[in-house]
Amino acid sequence: MLPTNTHILFHEFDYHAPTTLYEATELLAQYGDSARPIAGGTDLLVQMKMERRQPAHVISLARVNALQGIALNGDLTIGATTSIRDLHQYLTSKLQPPFASLQSLGEACNGFSTIQIMRMATLGGNLCNASPASDSAPPLLTFDARVTLKSKTFERVMALEHFFIAPGKTALQADELLTHIRIPRPPHQSASAFIKIARVAADISQVCAAVRLTRDGNLIHDARIALGSVAPTPVRAAAAERELIGQTFSAALAEKIGKRAAQEIQPISDIRATRAYRQHIAAVIVRDALLRAWERTQ
Amino acid sequence: MIQFDQPNIANLPELRQIGKPLPRIDAMGKVTGATQYAADYTMPNMLHAQVLRAKHASAQILRVDVSKARALPGVVAVLTADDLPGAQVATDIPGVTGTSKRAGTDAPILARDRVRFMGEALAIVAAEELAIAERALDLIEVDYEPYPAVFTPEEAMQPGAPIVTEPDNIVARWRIVKGDADAALRDADVIVERTYKTQFIDHAYLEPEAGIAWVDENGTLTIRVSTQVVEHFRSIAAALQLPQNKVHIMGTLVGGGFGGKEDITVELFIGLAALKTRRPVKMVYSREESILAHCKRHPFTITHKTGVTHSGRILASQVNLIADSGAYVYLSPYVLLYAASSAVGPYKVNHVTVNAYAVATNNTFTSAFRGFGAAQACVAYEQHMDEIAQALHLDPRQVRRVNYAQAGDTTPNGQAFRGAVWLEECAQRAWDALGETPPPSAPNIKIGRGLASYMQSYGRITWFHDTSQAWVGLEMDGSIVIRCGVPDIGGGQINTLAQISAEVLGVPLERVTVYSTDSALTPLAGTTTATRQMYMSGNATYQAAMAVRKTLAERASQHFECEPAEIDFADSAVFVKSDASQKMPLTQLIAMCAAEGLPRANLSLFKAPFTEKLDPDNAQGDIWPDYTFGAQAVQVAVDLETGEVRVLKSAACHDVGRALNPAAVAGQIEGGATQGLGYALMEDVQIVNGVTLTPSFAEYLLPTARDVPETKTIILESGTGLGPFGAKGIGEPALTPMAPAIANAVANAIGARVPQLPLTPERVLAAIDSAR
Repeated sequence: MLPTNTHILFHEFDYHAPTTLYEATELLAQYGDSARPIAGGTDLLVQMKMERRQPAHVISLARVNALQGIALNGDLTIGATTSIRDLHQYLTSKLQPPFASLQSLGEACNGFSTIQIMRMATLGGNLCNASPASDSAPPLLTFDARVTLKSKTFERVMALEHFFIAPGKTALQADELLTHIRIPRPPHQSASAFIKIARVAADISQVCAAVRLTRDGNLIHDARIALGSVAPTPVRAAAAERELIGQTFSAALAEKIGKRAAQEIQPISDIRATRAYRQHIAAVIVRDALLRAWERTQ
Repeated sequence: MIQFDQPNIANLPELRQIGKPLPRIDAMGKVTGATQYAADYTMPNMLHAQVLRAKHASAQILRVDVSKARALPGVVAVLTADDLPGAQVATDIPGVTGTSKRAGTDAPILARDRVRFMGEALAIVAAEELAIAERALDLIEVDYEPYPAVFTPEEAMQPGAPIVTEPDNIVARWRIVKGDADAALRDADVIVERTYKTQFIDHAYLEPEAGIAWVDENGTLTIRVSTQVVEHFRSIAAALQLPQNKVHIMGTLVGGGFGGKEDITVELFIGLAALKTRRPVKMVYSREESILAHCKRHPFTITHKTGVTHSGRILASQVNLIADSGAYVYLSPYVLLYAASSAVGPYKVNHVTVNAYAVATNNTFTSAFRGFGAAQACVAYEQHMDEIAQALHLDPRQVRRVNYAQAGDTTPNGQAFRGAVWLEECAQRAWDALGETPPPSAPNIKIGRGLASYMQSYGRITWFHDTSQAWVGLEMDGSIVIRCGVPDIGGGQINTLAQISAEVLGVPLERVTVYSTDSALTPLAGTTTATRQMYMSGNATYQAAMAVRKTLAERASQHFECEPAEIDFADSAVFVKSDASQKMPLTQLIAMCAAEGLPRANLSLFKAPFTEKLDPDNAQGDIWPDYTFGAQAVQVAVDLETGEVRVLKSAACHDVGRALNPAAVAGQIEGGATQGLGYALMEDVQIVNGVTLTPSFAEYLLPTARDVPETKTIILESGTGLGPFGAKGIGEPALTPMAPAIANAVANAIGARVPQLPLTPERVLAAIDSAR
């Protein structure tokens, strides 16, 4: 038969709906590789229909309250099953400085396909899917976000940068659940910006880029640049970042750094864009994001 | 925003419901989800069918072994070409009733010796469960021997090319000669020659192809199916070797057609399986199957060579058109004719030579798509008008003004335009509706504007000898029943008939019920294609309702002792126009008629103009009943650094003759423009070496609400259409001018042209770079 994502799921699986984190991790400990957690399902269901994944056990996280919600307690802690829509509303209505500098994450949520997807999809799901085209990953990378991974018996925290291994592959062990995403308190005088280029508004990106700048007068005190859809995982443009730090900001500098960042990436050609176009527009959107973020630090 | 103008109309009767944006009678079921579409139907004891699709674009079939599939528990039947009574089905002129020949257009129902495109049907599996049917497909073993293939029409036309269709891959050809273009070109001040290309696109209806078939207790093969053409029962009967009166098509409300459900889809697969198994059989295409294996819009390569004077007057045009027909003929000859006949657009050109070819390749077959060749022609001729203007350093609108056809001017095939030809008025109104050009939002943004005028026929080719029938009756309680075979594909086809009869008989719209789209039980009304149902079935319904009204008015005039012309009908009452106190409920008059045996119903047939088939070597003569005219203007922002095009504003102005329901008309115009936006900017079924690289909506992109610009819709009403109340068709015309308008706006913004749809950011960027 033709692979299709428009038919009913045929392969049978056990559906579990734990109500506590302990139950959820216990199920994971029990079933390991044969289980797959589901949050909004916007990626997993497509993968199951296309028969790229056929878990014997699907563990719904919808009733695990401990995974939901956003809390400001020194860090900004976001529960893994917080929907993109809820996150967007929180970021655009409730944040005071210095957390108000997380503009780029709000922009990424706003560009997240259609309203239907925004309501269903979750931040944790977007990260665990480990798509190179994740919209949420580049902003989080620029915020030095950390992720909390929990098994039945053990909890560990790692930098998001180390979480992504390959397309569709993360550092999660078979018995581990991503529970929280933590964004440390941003430095004062910071601002961020996110830009995404896509073929239609509801599509995943051809390239996306997020930057965060921290200023000290006219100098750039600190900088982060991250890109999506340009490598096997979402990536930082470390060399371009280093060239920014300590410099006096100017439009010419932003132009130069955009080109520098484009040299660092290794995009592929696929149905959404050619490699050459990706490199070209990466330079443009990194530059524009730098200009926009700098303006926001004023 | 809808602007609704009625300039220059004289002598229209006072209308109470026609011309009002009344809620459609089918709307509530659709918005509440109550409407049943083809895939929603199930039956007891039903089987599920799946079709095995070829994995090669061009191959000989050495062996098909279905034994393992047949052995799978739950599989009830596996059918191959060997099981078919008739192996072929005719693919052109769906539902034809006339005498036109249809030689050489047959396609296999299931491939026997050879497959000609990737996705061609090889075998049918019917099983107790869908999952079993899908698994059984994987158990069918097919041995292929690759066969030489050809994937572009240009290559397929070369001597020595692999032959897809005997004798030379050219499945249709039209030559149209008017005047002497060669001689007139010699007199031209300037000659402009350009080539334009369009792509395969998918209909992308919400509802994929679906149906359920069973053999009833009388041995009648009954097929409930999502279709634009219930008259396919004739072709199905021929292919399955059944009498025509033993095939019964029950159409459903259709979740989008756009031409994609004009050809047969699932009917033969489920019909065969039902005949073999004697059980109900259901089949629903997956989206991937719909994209891979059902028809696409023809890609065209169109070259214009045009001789003009310095003032912009077109003296002569030579136009060459080559269309990719894909692996089978289907409607290619007619799509090609639409394109060839409208090759120079709605302009007065005295010397024209058109050469048009449709050529078979090993790509997915192509057939009807809203606009039907005339849309592809418009993509070329309207971009060419702008390029002529550019070559002459004139305003493109001025070049159009100088050349617009007037009533009495003729097409290249010599058909005279009749009625109002409001090309200039539509263009002016659409252009003005864009308002002021805003300053660019950033230095790298360029704003551009573009315009496209168009002509698009409504009604079928007149040598098809098209008719439609409708039955209109009043029930004892004063409600109206309409019986008419029209398939409603979402454009408001049923509501239009209801609104016409409600107007004529003075009954509220919500008291009209329409029984439709049934080949056995509703009078045959012809296809919902070619922008013809309002014109054809609208007129048939109007005639039938008027006949009922005449009987009732005569009886009422005896009662009120006045002339029948003095009687009027409104709000379910009948009264004397000059004395409203002389009045009775409509039910009372109906009771009087019933008591006396007077007819309260009428079956009426409407007949389009009939002509004879044109000569392919020089097509001269009328082809269509009439044309719709209009214009589309757009304003775009182009990012010079990324090549992204954003349509900021869209303004459409069409003369629809008469808007029977302005809300439905505006819906057609806005939907058509949005479909045209997708055609211009992102939609592209990429078939490379026979492989479809865009098998789902993850790869094949459609505009969503977030891509739709601020839209102005201007409806003009000349009252000169051939439909009821002077209406013209708007279904297809709504789409036609959008893509070239966007292409012209982009060229205006960046100072360079991308002569190939879609205008992807990468192509736009390349054009910007080459212009620097």
